[in-house]
Amino acid sequence: MGENILEIKNINKHFPIKSFRGYGQYVHAMDDVSFSLKKGEVLSIVGESGSGKTTTANVIAGLYEPTSGEVYFEGSLVPRKMHRKKELDYRKKVQMIFQDPFSSLNPTHTIFSILERPFKIHKLASGKKNLRNEISKLLETVGLEPAEQYIDKFPHELSGGQRQRVNIARTFSVNPELILADEPTSMLDVSIRMSIMNMMLDYRDEKGISYIYITHDLAGARYMADRIAVMYAGMLMEIGTAEDVINSTFHPYTKLLKSAAPSPEEGLNRPKLTTKGDIPSLINPPGGCRFHPRCPYYKDECSKEIPGMKEVSKGHFARCIL
Amino acid sequence: MDNNRILNVANLVAGYEIKKGFVKAVDNVSFTLNKGEFLGIAGESGCGKSTLAYGLMKLLKDNALIKSGIINFNGNDIQSYSNEKMNQIRWVDMSMVFQSAMNALNPVLTIGEQLTDAIFAHTNDSKEKAKGRALEVLKLVDISADRFDSYPHQLSGGMKQRVMIAMGLILKPDLIIMDEPTTALDVVVQRTIIEKIQDLRKEFNFSVIFITHDLSLLVEISDKLAIMYAGKIVEYGKASDVFLHSLHPYTKGLMNSFPSLTGPIKRMGGIEGKPPDLLNPPEGCRFAPRCEKAMEICFKEYPKTYVKSDKHWVDCHLYNKEGNVNG
Amino acid sequence: MLGDVFKLFIENKKAALGLCILLFFVTVAILAPVIAPYDPKVNKIETIEILDTDRGRNKTVEREKIDEFNERRVYTQEVETTYEKNTKKFPLNSPPSSDHFFGTSHAGQDLFSQVVWGTRITLLVGLVTGLFTTVLSLTLALLSGYFGGIVDDIISLFTNVFLVIPSLPLMIVIAAYITVKGVFPIVLILALTSWPWPTRLLRSQVVSLKNRDFIKVSRSLGEKHSYIIFREMFPNMISLVMASFFQSTMGAIMGEATLEFIGLGNVSIVSWGTVLYWAQTNGALLSGAWWWFLPPGICIALIGTSFALMNFAIDEISNPKLRKR
Repeated sequence: MGENILEIKNINKHFPIKSFRGYGQYVHAMDDVSFSLKKGEVLSIVGESGSGKTTTANVIAGLYEPTSGEVYFEGSLVPRKMHRKKELDYRKKVQMIFQDPFSSLNPTHTIFSILERPFKIHKLASGKKNLRNEISKLLETVGLEPAEQYIDKFPHELSGGQRQRVNIARTFSVNPELILADEPTSMLDVSIRMSIMNMMLDYRDEKGISYIYITHDLAGARYMADRIAVMYAGMLMEIGTAEDVINSTFHPYTKLLKSAAPSPEEGLNRPKLTTKGDIPSLINPPGGCRFHPRCPYYKDECSKEIPGMKEVSKGHFARCIL
Repeated sequence: MDNNRILNVANLVAGYEIKKGFVKAVDNVSFTLNKGEFLGIAGESGCGKSTLAYGLMKLLKDNALIKSGIINFNGNDIQSYSNEKMNQIRWVDMSMVFQSAMNALNPVLTIGEQLTDAIFAHTNDSKEKAKGRALEVLKLVDISADRFDSYPHQLSGGMKQRVMIAMGLILKPDLIIMDEPTTALDVVVQRTIIEKIQDLRKEFNFSVIFITHDLSLLVEISDKLAIMYAGKIVEYGKASDVFLHSLHPYTKGLMNSFPSLTGPIKRMGGIEGKPPDLLNPPEGCRFAPRCEKAMEICFKEYPKTYVKSDKHWVDCHLYNKEGNVNG
Repeated sequence: MLGDVFKLFIENKKAALGLCILLFFVTVAILAPVIAPYDPKVNKIETIEILDTDRGRNKTVEREKIDEFNERRVYTQEVETTYEKNTKKFPLNSPPSSDHFFGTSHAGQDLFSQVVWGTRITLLVGLVTGLFTTVLSLTLALLSGYFGGIVDDIISLFTNVFLVIPSLPLMIVIAAYITVKGVFPIVLILALTSWPWPTRLLRSQVVSLKNRDFIKVSRSLGEKHSYIIFREMFPNMISLVMASFFQSTMGAIMGEATLEFIGLGNVSIVSWGTVLYWAQTNGALLSGAWWWFLPPGICIALIGTSFALMNFAIDEISNPKLRKR
């Protein structure tokens, strides 16, 4: 670990609403999101639906253009419009794994033709026999062996876990520097999740890849990540090492997440949740701190101004006035 | 017959008729449930838990059917009931909360109409009385009365699920079967709904069968836990027993698949492989191909049940009659 | 993949039946010169028998002409051939018989030959129009759905405007202005009025496919647009494109018949529509000459059925829930 491989500064992403009724309004998917990631580090972004975590990944992957703010990769600014060569280079280094293993694979292509694309696009190998060899090796790396059994099948002939392994194989094939994993295990059976998560960790240990691991599951984040960032309603609320965020939880929202997460060790007599209410609309988010309508520590100033990120302890920041 | 016992399922076989044969999604399943008890059924995709849920309510349709076995509910053998007779029981004595409220609620009717429809279908209540009951039950699930005339799309996911629970409660049944009711919801919403269910249980003392793949959640909220694998219940007992003293290798594997928020961070195992094809299930124990502790006999013979203590049993060759661990 | 889809298609009973009917008519169209006993437009058979020349009936006649001005005689020779001409006129307006399987028209033309030869024009117009419309609408749909933005706005604007114009009146207006002979104007008219609907349909599918994860993955891998459109999206659209093709073709066949029937097409060509036109203008319905309008009507219905069956089969194949277990 050393320098930053990724740094995003004050990213806003607002989607314009195109329907007749909502015309002129925006969905504030991301507001003032900033963080950095060191080489070889795993950062987990935790949040519920509407938190902006998936949008963040899409912006970093270059699938969405930010409304404002900058993305720095390996120290240099990533321009909005890149010409082909630079774009290919970026896409080789920054890869994304999606949540739904089935819809991430083209149902009309065999595993072979799906996996040969990265090789062909980035000119990493050629020749049918050569490609087949490389792809077979790749399948074995992700635990799909013997490769012959899988290479000519169609996605619908594989199970959910197998499909996700194919997706992961695809990301690994270009030897990326940064992998964005958007809830890669939430649609898989419980018993399979662990092996997928372990596989990703092994790969990091072997190749020194950096990860951004997006999840709604705080315990999963703790297992995978060095640092955890908590997002709520499009804004970053708390960020720090996994231990700090989970054991020295600062932000009231993170405390809420912690108390809501299943924890079998604590048994039946857990204290009840003290917070009511739902996630706010992103079209007209609450003024000031977005969590203030639900916060048990609410003070007047919370609804007036958005709090800045305050350093609670070394490397541990929270967006709260407390 | 135990007066406290509300449900007794014995040797239930249910599944799907397809061209190639009969898929036994529920293969010789037996368990019991007492009044006011919370039974959690844990299992992954394809283990047959949804078929079991629908089967208990006799809601299996088309090519899905109950082949054999006994379902004794409140002292009556309902497996032989006709649809008309079942209609009298459904919603009144036993009800169901479905997975994915989005698909279970009619998008063109208000939630008030759907609640009162349920009442009209089973009672002769007047319009006012029905509305009154509907409002009552909406209050129970923390939905304000002014939402009575809302359409499903105007409610959030959590609210819709609470409407489903309200519908399950509206005729005050003795048993509510919940099939993955919180799977599609955010963790905070899930927690609020679980708490609500517990509160309502304390007040009305109904039994719950809660089906999900989220074992860590079940351990927290269930009285009894049944672990299903490939159409069979492989372990059953008090939730704390099954969690702290897991017997079946599959249960142990599942418990080892949930990272925790407390305690040291260590590598966890999960379980390799995938469940068997239920059309032609393997002979012997179905978990044997994936089991670390599998012995020769596991592939040949289905294990006899070993009863560890009152209410904790397991189907595994690792334990013989005396409780000595084999192999 | 395509091979599998084709196999599924053939195995489906509906598709097999529909395909058989279509192939039957295609065969009839191809083999028309062989199958049709007579030329569709003639109403008589003339046989000429040249009489025996030996008996001197074929003679050379010499004629003399006196040219007084130039004081000379001019001789011309002509050969006269004597022959017998047997004209067998077809019966007028007669019901089916062994000579005329579908009977004859008011003018004595053999209706069976007309229907057989008409198959060519009808199928040609239908399939060419169907193909043209499908290719055009697919192209527009891919461009507007995939690229979005201003390209989408412009194409959608045109599509929506043309969609709103009622097609039959538009057809009539265009037909009234075209003076070119032949079949091509009909193809043009039909294509111009039927492209908006499939374009909209296909565009919706393109838009929904574009948001599927595997397309996002392709983009994030750096795939070129052309590859994504033709190799990633298009294979997922095949069933809809095929269904659209069948609908367009059927629509074109009906459209051609309609145009001919109301007299706006080219009534000198022979197609099922023109047979119906002549039947109608000669009061076949009123005079009870069922053999005139029933066969072309049944043929149109059969082709329609064949396309409908194949369409059902495609629906079943692409939506597994519709398949019978």
